[in-house]
Amino acid sequence: MPDAQTAHHAPRSLLIRAARAIDPATGTDRISDIAVRDGLIESVSPASASKTAPSGFDRVINAEGLICSPGLIDPHVHLREPGGEDAETIETGTAAAVAGGFTAVCCMPNTSPAIDDDAMVEFVYTRTEQTAHCRVYPVGAATRGRKGDELAELALMARAGAVGFSDDGDCLASPALMLRALTYIQPTGLAFMQHCQEPSLTRGSAMHAGSVAARLGLGGWPRLAEELIVERDIRLLKAVAGGGKGEAPPGYHVQHLSCAGSVDLIRKARAAGLPVSAEASPHHLTLTHECVERAEPAVAEALGQAAQAGTAPASAGPRYWTLAKMNPPLRERSDVRAILEGVADGTITILATDHAPHTPERKHVEFEHAAFGITGLETALALYIKSLIEPGVIDWPRLIELLTINPARLCRLDRPTLAAMSEPKPIPGTSAWAATPQPLKHGLGTLAPSAWADLTLIDPNLEWTVDAATHASRSRNTPYHGVRLTGRAIGTLVGGVFRYRHDSLEGR
Amino acid sequence: MATTSTTTPAVSEGAGRDLWPHRCLLGLEGLEADALRTVLQTARGFAEVSTRSVKKVPSLRGKVVANLFFEESTRTRLSFTLAAQRLSADVIDLSGSGSSVAKGETVVDTALNVEAMGVDAMVVRHKASGAPHRISEHVRCAVVNAGDGKHEHPTQGLLDIYTLARAHGRLETFDLSGLRVAVVGDIVSSRVARSNIFGLLALGASVVCVGPPTLAPRSLEALGCTVEHDFDRLIDGGGLSAVNMLRIQFERHSGEGGGAAGGVGVGGGGAGAVGANTTGNKAGSSSPAFPSIREYAQCYGLTAERASRLPVGAVVMHPGPMNRGVEIADDVADGPRSVILEQVANGLAVRMAVLFLCVAAAEC
Repeated sequence: MPDAQTAHHAPRSLLIRAARAIDPATGTDRISDIAVRDGLIESVSPASASKTAPSGFDRVINAEGLICSPGLIDPHVHLREPGGEDAETIETGTAAAVAGGFTAVCCMPNTSPAIDDDAMVEFVYTRTEQTAHCRVYPVGAATRGRKGDELAELALMARAGAVGFSDDGDCLASPALMLRALTYIQPTGLAFMQHCQEPSLTRGSAMHAGSVAARLGLGGWPRLAEELIVERDIRLLKAVAGGGKGEAPPGYHVQHLSCAGSVDLIRKARAAGLPVSAEASPHHLTLTHECVERAEPAVAEALGQAAQAGTAPASAGPRYWTLAKMNPPLRERSDVRAILEGVADGTITILATDHAPHTPERKHVEFEHAAFGITGLETALALYIKSLIEPGVIDWPRLIELLTINPARLCRLDRPTLAAMSEPKPIPGTSAWAATPQPLKHGLGTLAPSAWADLTLIDPNLEWTVDAATHASRSRNTPYHGVRLTGRAIGTLVGGVFRYRHDSLEGR
Repeated sequence: MATTSTTTPAVSEGAGRDLWPHRCLLGLEGLEADALRTVLQTARGFAEVSTRSVKKVPSLRGKVVANLFFEESTRTRLSFTLAAQRLSADVIDLSGSGSSVAKGETVVDTALNVEAMGVDAMVVRHKASGAPHRISEHVRCAVVNAGDGKHEHPTQGLLDIYTLARAHGRLETFDLSGLRVAVVGDIVSSRVARSNIFGLLALGASVVCVGPPTLAPRSLEALGCTVEHDFDRLIDGGGLSAVNMLRIQFERHSGEGGGAAGGVGVGGGGAGAVGANTTGNKAGSSSPAFPSIREYAQCYGLTAERASRLPVGAVVMHPGPMNRGVEIADDVADGPRSVILEQVANGLAVRMAVLFLCVAAAEC
């Protein structure tokens, strides 16, 4: 029998009352009562008008004014384990994930050593079971050691539970090898996730090739470096698709796209019926290259806020702000607009943080020498609301779709077999009932009855201020520190167990 | 029929000539079932010769067979040599190294010079697809393809078919209807696979090619077979009469231009998909077409466990040379389903039949 404390955090049965249940996978969007029992969703039914507390539940939450979504899924994070534990671990990275409302994340293989064989895939699942706060699914390296010269053991990684293939951090640049990879992975049913960056065009590049780079004397990173690979890969995919009758080519997914031309290429490829998808990241939806020069005031301006007093003296000159150094780089307002349009018209179907934790010593250096990337999991949802919901680019059901069932489908987590591979660290007292039912009936990304109760409770109106010091991530490299945002996850359940509770959930 | 020195069993004079009008055997593609059955029935007659104490018939006495092996070979050359000798022909040998070939002579000139010495048949092996075809256009004697590049190896195809027919009691008719053969492994680089596919389909069998998409691309279906990438699913689907395990031809994956797949390459780019990139691969021990031997063996190797799930009566074939532990496990190669050495024995009879019929046709 679970004690009182466990029952509070991990109620065996739970009723979430009068939430706006949004589940694009089943076409649900209405005020509902969501019943959870033994780690699974029991039912989602129209909210009862009765004011009396229903019986038969260990715990009842009044969720009026809240959105109840399938647990958010981020298909692109860097958890740095093994090899970069000073910046992040599976434990701290997943703590950040649940604080941001995510119940499943896919970790990229650019660890040290790289996740490039079945033993490394199993390592991620093992560490997840030992330490994680949410589900973690590894993406396997496409080439051995991510060196780009020979295929990694793709079939064995797929058997061990890899959910996609990528050399993320580096582009698979050789067209011969890329064609071979796309051909070879067909039977796995998994997607290739490309980091689109032609390396010969970005040697010595530190930021977007534009007016700011010209003024600051930094190596420019042309849009062409991304667009060329997107265009080339689409042609390679066509060649694989044309190889025979009746065989679908593998999914091809463009990671963190940064420029307008890429959006166009993907729009055309999708219109032609190719299995091409793309993701956009919070920083590419909000910020521009001006942040490198002007830092916090430029961030505040991009978010439509007044700059905070006393951040940077006006006379200080360019900041060379390494928290605005990304790969691919922050580009121009016109690119941000094109990416927003891509989200609006269905070209971009997935949102991903590219959560990239780094230790201070890798950021507090000369701009050219600084590491690329920022943390993202704990600020993502509010930034999506800010950039997509507030200006009316898309509505809530569409946003939830881009954060749940679409990434689930990309990584085949909508299939119960693959979804069932990952369970976070057990909570004492729940093991008797929270064990995965065999076989699981549904994959991730839906509120369907008997699916895992992976749920995110979102308060769309809660105002809060980003404070990097309180982040669960081991790293603090966010350009959004001090920014005021609206809306956030206030409760995150994985398998029916609360893995994150915001203060505002108390008393509900 | 009383003596062994004057008759050739099952091959009465002229009997096969109407059905075998071909001076050359360059490939099995395009051959009619009747023509294939003529060779196989002739081979069936010759098979008996090898069981005699005096292993010789006079069918090609006074004839000369030239082995032109521009690419190295051991068993095929031995088999053709022995086949010619059992037909009482004289055999001369030319190999790629240490000859005029090394001095820059074209294959056609070499062949014409050899023919000028009075040769009745040439057995040609070459690493370039189509080399025997070029030779056959210029000489008048019989030409038998003993393996050209990644194209065909027709006598290997015939001996595989003969062995399959024998294992399944089809020697009377060589009608292979209802039989289903899996050809497993490096299909794109394999001349054995192509000859198997053409011959088996012509005789009524069905063929499924099995391998990773880089070695068994879906485009092979243009040849009339099906393609499967999951060996276990195929085995569990049942119905296989034989599995023909091919060696990974590492030497054909690296070092040369992208000619792996010929007209059936991956996608519009055709041949280049499997071919040229050798970066980071040690020649002879790894292939750019798949990540590792370990992964290949786990996905496509015929282990004892996989062999045990084959239907009763299904046989295991291998054209050799085997890489034990890669495409075929030791205990399977030597196990009860294996007909691998029988293939070698049948090869002799098949090659006797091919030499006999082609020389006879050349004289017409």
